[in-house]
Amino acid sequence: MTTKEAPPLPEAAPHKRRLKAPGNRNFSKPARYAMLAALVLFSGFPLYWMLNTALSQDSELYGQAQGWWPHWERLADFGDLIGSVPIFKWLTNSVVIAGGTTLLSLIFAVLAGYALSRFKFYGKGAAGFLLFATQMLPEALLVVPIYALFASLGLLNGMGGLILANVAFTMPVSVWIIKGAIDAIPYEIEEAAAVDGCPRVTILSLVLTPLILPSIAAAAVINFFDGWNEFLLAKTFIAERDLWPASVGLASFIGQYLTSLNSVMAAALLFTLPALIFFLLVQRRIVSGLTAGSVKG
Amino acid sequence: MAKLSLRNISKRFGDTQVIHDFSADVDNGEFLVLLGASGSGKSTLLRIIAGLTDASAGDVIFDNLRVNRQSPRERDIAFVFQSYALYPHLTVRENIAFPLALDRFKGWHHIPGVSTVARRVFGSSKDIAKQVASVSSMLELDEYANRKPGGLSGGQRQRVALARALIRNPSMFLLDEPLSNLDAKLRAELRGEIVRLHRLTGKTFVYVTHDQVEAMTMATQIVILHNGIVQQHATPQEIYARPANTYVARFIGSPPMNLMTAAVTGGQPALGGLRLPAPEALRLGTGTVTLGLRPEHLTVSADLDGPGLAGTVRRIEDLGADTLIGVQPDPALGLNMWELNQDDLLWIRQTGQTRLMAGDPCTVMPEARMASYFDSDTGQNLASAGKDSDAGMLPARG
Repeated sequence: MTTKEAPPLPEAAPHKRRLKAPGNRNFSKPARYAMLAALVLFSGFPLYWMLNTALSQDSELYGQAQGWWPHWERLADFGDLIGSVPIFKWLTNSVVIAGGTTLLSLIFAVLAGYALSRFKFYGKGAAGFLLFATQMLPEALLVVPIYALFASLGLLNGMGGLILANVAFTMPVSVWIIKGAIDAIPYEIEEAAAVDGCPRVTILSLVLTPLILPSIAAAAVINFFDGWNEFLLAKTFIAERDLWPASVGLASFIGQYLTSLNSVMAAALLFTLPALIFFLLVQRRIVSGLTAGSVKG
Repeated sequence: MAKLSLRNISKRFGDTQVIHDFSADVDNGEFLVLLGASGSGKSTLLRIIAGLTDASAGDVIFDNLRVNRQSPRERDIAFVFQSYALYPHLTVRENIAFPLALDRFKGWHHIPGVSTVARRVFGSSKDIAKQVASVSSMLELDEYANRKPGGLSGGQRQRVALARALIRNPSMFLLDEPLSNLDAKLRAELRGEIVRLHRLTGKTFVYVTHDQVEAMTMATQIVILHNGIVQQHATPQEIYARPANTYVARFIGSPPMNLMTAAVTGGQPALGGLRLPAPEALRLGTGTVTLGLRPEHLTVSADLDGPGLAGTVRRIEDLGADTLIGVQPDPALGLNMWELNQDDLLWIRQTGQTRLMAGDPCTVMPEARMASYFDSDTGQNLASAGKDSDAGMLPARG
């Protein structure tokens, strides 16, 4: 603290500066709001246009210029769409696949991340590198071998197999996120828990997991969206229409000769909503910094 | 009830030997302080006692039972960390209740998910809540019970850590520099608190520190470690009055013991020509010894005609109650304090203030009866164990 030695008078200047939050002092309030508004417009407009298109009719879309205001009265037509295809079935499948991918991937990632962070073992460096190496191969390259493998294992045409394949692709990233989070937790906390009577599993579940929750949430978001948006593997592995996730179902709207744009947009809107809700649920966790004050510093 | 015995403990990390063949016995109820500079192996030793680190060789014995292979939990010890190591996601109350709640866990309670619920249920049970309340009122933590560690000051956090150790009622308390992250005033306060807890519980405490004030004020026994080797194991008074070697002499005391070269003829030492009364048992032929005197066992006067060592006052440090006077002895005296004393000064502690000023010539008179004698080569105290009477010096080697 420089204020300690300073005479009382000049103190006023630094005090006033400190009232402003750091990082904000370059812009005035209206300017900041203007920038925010621009960002909201930029990222929100596609969503709005999706809704607008969904509520338009083919003739409007292909004939004249599309209106700026959505035809709210056509909201009821959404029902026809839902009746014509099993969209809720597909959405449920998507939730199961994305949720299963997230859960399984996180369990593996916490265990693997803990091992990579805390244990010394032969081949640790190689294991870490191999996890990264999986990310270098594109899915498209592996889809055929995996298909052959799954065919012989009887995992085709089922959500379990698809989840397994998804986990293989998303888990490595989660492992590294969680390893990084565990690296930042002081080892003494674990030792304190060991002295207090926790076996390793309990240290992990009672002490470590709550502390790395923000990172787990971040990894969960990545995994969930990977599982939610995944198309290639789902399209290849699942032939039965009732087992399709929404991503494949959505694609089926695009016909060879005819694409009903407003139906596609309506379905896409329904496809976006659950993901949006999931994100809103976990984003608070991501932001909160839980480790503050654990040890001195 | 725990009597702690350490038998020939050694520890090496790769090529570095951190602890060399350490043995000690600590009776139940003792307050043992492991004192040493950083890198002396004291924390490692404590971790070996706790079971957080394995010894490379040797045995840790609790009450005649070898516990080398037991986990920290099975050893029934409490450990207080320098960094507090509180659980940041739990409130103060939950932190303190944590070990008790875990005591009640059965095997299946450790299943992830179940453990979270079990900890909550047990932690909020009535009798645990009662114990938590009594311990937290003892450490004046009641009003913070619902806060998380992040919202506490350093002193409060360390109190929570002490409470968490205390509530288990372990057989032994192990504390690893618990006060070194705190400011001086809080340190003094918590020092008193820990001594009080020691008296209250009557349990064995092993306390690691690099702070000699903590060691002197709290310990019933001190072990001074240097590079993993025990320098002395004795009571604080013993260590202060009769340091086992020059390292201990220089490590303990502020300012540390003055060390000078003294010539010995026929068992009688002389300091720069000043003949000192022969210590009763120091039967040394002829040679040189290192003579050590605490600053309070020297007096300084402006009277240049009296007997004593001639010198010049170089530094005056007025501490209020007493004054430290740094005197540079006349180089012609050949006291050869090089490397031993900082700035080559003889430090004298005097009650109250002094009229001397820096630059004044002066005479320093040693209180010869209080002197310690060390072998000038090995640095070992020539009075060996020094267990005899005050001036009881045993024959020196050679």
